[in-house]
Amino acid sequence: MITIRDRGARGVAVLRRFSRSTTMTLLCVVLAGYVALGVASSGSFFEGPSVRTFLQYLATPVLIGLAQMIALCVGQLNLAVGALGGFTACLMGVLMADQGVPAGVAVAAGVLTATAVGLVTGLFIVATKINGFIVTLGTMTILLGAQYRLAGTRTVDGYSAGLRDLGRAAPLNVPLVFVTALAAAALLAAFLYRSSAGRRLLAAGGNPLAARLSGISTDRQIVLAHTLSGLLIGVAALTATASLPGVNRSVGGDWLLPSFAAPIIGGVALTGGSVAVLGTVLAAFVMRLIDAARAQFSLDPSWVNFLIGLVVLGTVVGGRIHQTHLEKKGSSRGRTPPAPPESDAQPAVVLPHMGGAR
Amino acid sequence: MSNVLLECQAIVKVFPGVRALDGVGLRLTAGSVHALLGENGAGKSTLIKVLTGVHTPNSGRLTWCGDEVHLRSPLEATRTGIGVVHQERNLIPGFSVAENITLQSPPSHRGLIDRAAMTAPALTCLGELGLDIDPDQPVRELSVAQQQLVEIAKALYTESRVLLLDEPTASLSPQEAERLFEVVRRLTARGTCVVFVSHKLEEVFAICDTVTVLRDGRSVLESSPLADHTQDDVVSLMVGRAHSATEMRPREVDTSAAPVLSLDRVSTAAGHRDISLDVRPGEIVGLYGLVGAGRSELVKAVLGLDRVTGGEIRLHGKPARIASPRQALHVFGIGYLTENRKEEGVFLEQPIVRNITVTVWKRLAKAFGFVSSREEQEVSHDLVERLGIRISGLGQNAGELSGGNQQKVSLAKWLAADTRLLIVDEPTVGVDVRTKHAFHELIWELARDGLPILLISSDLAEMITLADRVVVMADHRIRGEVDNDRDYERMSGRIIRIIHDRALSAVGPKAVRA
Amino acid sequence: MPVAPPDGDTNTAEATASRPVHRLPFWVNQRLGLLVLIVSLSALFGVLRPAFLDERLVLFPLLRDISTLTVVALAQMVVLSVGHMNLAVGRMAAFGALFAGFGYDRLGLPLPLGLLLCLFAGAAIGALTGWIITRTGVSSFVVTLAMDFALLGLVSLLYSALTENAAFTTKPSGLAELRSYSLADICVGPVCGSPAVPQLAQFTVLALLGLGFLYACTRIGRELLLTGANPAAAELSGIPTGRRVILAHTLSGLLAALAGFMAAVSTGTFRASIGDDFMLPSFLGAVLGGTLLTGGVVSVLGVLLGTSLVGVIRKGLDLLGVGLESLNIYLGCVLLLALSADRVRTVLSYRKVVRST
Repeated sequence: MITIRDRGARGVAVLRRFSRSTTMTLLCVVLAGYVALGVASSGSFFEGPSVRTFLQYLATPVLIGLAQMIALCVGQLNLAVGALGGFTACLMGVLMADQGVPAGVAVAAGVLTATAVGLVTGLFIVATKINGFIVTLGTMTILLGAQYRLAGTRTVDGYSAGLRDLGRAAPLNVPLVFVTALAAAALLAAFLYRSSAGRRLLAAGGNPLAARLSGISTDRQIVLAHTLSGLLIGVAALTATASLPGVNRSVGGDWLLPSFAAPIIGGVALTGGSVAVLGTVLAAFVMRLIDAARAQFSLDPSWVNFLIGLVVLGTVVGGRIHQTHLEKKGSSRGRTPPAPPESDAQPAVVLPHMGGAR
Repeated sequence: MSNVLLECQAIVKVFPGVRALDGVGLRLTAGSVHALLGENGAGKSTLIKVLTGVHTPNSGRLTWCGDEVHLRSPLEATRTGIGVVHQERNLIPGFSVAENITLQSPPSHRGLIDRAAMTAPALTCLGELGLDIDPDQPVRELSVAQQQLVEIAKALYTESRVLLLDEPTASLSPQEAERLFEVVRRLTARGTCVVFVSHKLEEVFAICDTVTVLRDGRSVLESSPLADHTQDDVVSLMVGRAHSATEMRPREVDTSAAPVLSLDRVSTAAGHRDISLDVRPGEIVGLYGLVGAGRSELVKAVLGLDRVTGGEIRLHGKPARIASPRQALHVFGIGYLTENRKEEGVFLEQPIVRNITVTVWKRLAKAFGFVSSREEQEVSHDLVERLGIRISGLGQNAGELSGGNQQKVSLAKWLAADTRLLIVDEPTVGVDVRTKHAFHELIWELARDGLPILLISSDLAEMITLADRVVVMADHRIRGEVDNDRDYERMSGRIIRIIHDRALSAVGPKAVRA
Repeated sequence: MPVAPPDGDTNTAEATASRPVHRLPFWVNQRLGLLVLIVSLSALFGVLRPAFLDERLVLFPLLRDISTLTVVALAQMVVLSVGHMNLAVGRMAAFGALFAGFGYDRLGLPLPLGLLLCLFAGAAIGALTGWIITRTGVSSFVVTLAMDFALLGLVSLLYSALTENAAFTTKPSGLAELRSYSLADICVGPVCGSPAVPQLAQFTVLALLGLGFLYACTRIGRELLLTGANPAAAELSGIPTGRRVILAHTLSGLLAALAGFMAAVSTGTFRASIGDDFMLPSFLGAVLGGTLLTGGVVSVLGVLLGTSLVGVIRKGLDLLGVGLESLNIYLGCVLLLALSADRVRTVLSYRKVVRST
């Protein structure tokens, strides 16, 4: 029997676990990609303005990826990511430009509205027990309409210069919006890994039945997850409003796919119970790199979607193959000792997994 | 009595189509070990869920130390002082051992988890069970037995005054189980009441003081001292009749006939080694073993769901390579009545007619794959009559039927397909006594008419009632074979001895592997 | 084989349990409810705005939209029947339409052959999706999501590589007629059809009939449903579940491509943006029509009715001057309300079952 007690050895174990994780792979990909891009652009990619633009437009993908991740971690989906983001952005813009509300108040109102919409969505799912997919599909439709109604066909751009300045500010060449996104990610990570509420959320996602038996209300966790998702989308809308030249009804239209791509590439399972804050952030990085590379080599923008599609597919298929490989290894190892600890009670393992919707 | 901790009276719990509990009473006193016994489906797990606030009873009364309580949630039950180890796995796979143990009330400071403060109590609980594992390790990396012990450690952490253990020893080795019993004795010495649910009567008689027996959702024996009863008494109370195996007359099986199915030194990817087995026409071969012995997995390998890595499977004397259950059915005529009726047997949300005819569409299909509903109705109607399935119409959803009738529907599809070999896996789990009886007669009749049957059952009485020959399996190997002489005492003794001799010699390394 | 009958009627407990537990009265039938709703809403709109009943200007385009979107919803329904999802319906439609356009523009194919090429391309991409899902066991949600991304990029790339201004504009003979002809252009002697019904609807009718036959009468259809209802049990009952899943995705791709073709015919050009707004209606139509997301239950007729309801509401509100921008708000509310009502019904029937036990 090996007992790991001393701190050093434990640290080594943690490191070893980390080195094999998706996050580590992503970190390598990000670093290698960044360097390669820098070399390919003969250094211009390392210069101040490039770095600033790169990071400037990374804020929103990071935030929407995290918003989706928090929904996924309790086994829910949020199809309304883009619609809610677009609606909130337009709401902020209209409040500031048309109603003359001060920027601070408008931003607060926007973020609060997004959070409230998330809360209502969660409550609705819990109350009616309708599949979250369908409910968020419904809220997505409603919000799209609401966004259109707010903005109409125009682009709202006459809003607070202060907010714009903040959006463009980049102390030490790091854009403020990017710092905001990172701060949100750090807070989220602290919440999920350190707070009791965060652990309850993860417990409910990892094994809902067990969580319920331990006195954790899964319903409450679903509501909480959607509320947090709404909050993060609110912040994403803020960063978008601050860094875009103006908001119109197309804001958020292309957020849905990247919001799923980031957590999936980052190693989050759709079945719930797993989170990877760093992984999601890094995956957003990877996608931004693809975009930057596209711009660098002035290729058709469609390449980005195509490549991201392949990366998502490659990630999940690769992960699946890796897992079957592990299982095979596990079963061959289990054969040598006398009792492979498989119980009669779980024969479903033997049946092929059919890749159902969930 | 002043030291009564928890008492329940006339508890009723109804689920759609089933009265799971129908007037159950129970009295738990401090410092005792109380056995809760009953066959599968008798209502033990439901009662435990009522006692721990998972289910709210439809009627009845619960009192805690003399005061009436309403347990509306598991958390309320825990706060009251009732702890539980459920039968299902209740660990969060991605969390560490320490976090799982302290899940119900994690040490925290202003809403932040205090991981350092988690380790000490976790180590204490693990230490009590003699379990030496790293509390920071994620639970998903542990073996099944270790996970089971962590579940128990989790229950110890809450320091409950009533601790319910639902089949805690199912996946433990005898040594590990003995360790657990020591803990139970220590707890009762401190005044805790432990409720012990187990199928292993020897364990029950070794450590329990009082006993309650459930049958069909009623308590047929209520909180009675165990010393007043023998094992036979208790068993006959559980099954509702003396378990003499007399209903089935002994019969002759032509042992010279060529076997329909024979396994010759088969090894599988699931870990089976050198399995040899014959099933002849009209013969019922029993495959007995404890949970985890690898019986269902063996069948799944035969059906092509798992890889056969060595040896040979022969059907009607010819070597057969079966790639899928579809091939097993349509080419070799093998039917498999699964043990997991709800997950793998019936299509709950589908009409009965579809449930029965699923195996024969291939035969019924005409041009363009057209299947006539009339023919389907005819096939189903005949089988419904023949098996005496109680339905209101063939269009009814299978999920609306009682467990026994669902099981009959599940069997009907194999009879519709005229299978030439039937594998029956735990056919009467969760089925009431009368249907169980009818089922036994049915299997008996099928064999009498020449159908070879491989019967898997954990119910020793069922084995001895039905099987002509009992093959005993443990740890994915065949440990012995007994010809059935239908004398329950002698047979059960021989079978149990085969299992236990092996079990004792085989557990060593597993108990200490971390 | 004579089999001993089980003991007689003494078994009261079981008899109670298996009594016809709960039969919904006919008027709660979802399809009938939809039909009543469609008819009464149409009548209401007709009364409020007589222009709503204008055959050529309102009903014709309305029915043309409904025809296309019904096929889109059918494409979704087929994968839902095996308990999967297809998030890439829109993009598969664009992919199919790309091939049709390519066929007309570059290969000079006649109308029917281009359509065949389009259907074949859709079926192929669907089959590939299904194959990836069965081989890897990754959830269909993720695979079709990734497929959506990949096709979104690929289709635009191909259009910009193959065409001047990102669209095929060559129109084979018959396309314009297909676009604008209605039943009024088909006459048997002096009797002509209604000018409200577009000829494009023939594809929808064919798809409806084909799928209706598949699910109601054939072995394959039943096997698809059982695969969706319980994959493990289906596999053990001898259904080749893997092949059925691939088949469902193939059919879905084929129908999506058909819808893409119809959309291209309605607008007159083959471009990458076809199918951009297909995903929402595909789920709306199927789910409102009573198809379960969990698999095992479909309603071909329900898809038509669900899509029609959405179409009628959209058109009616538009005519009432609600304005295009608010339409989605009402539609989302309709979806959530309809499903909540359904949920209330389930809860009520569950209570009834428990009480009767």
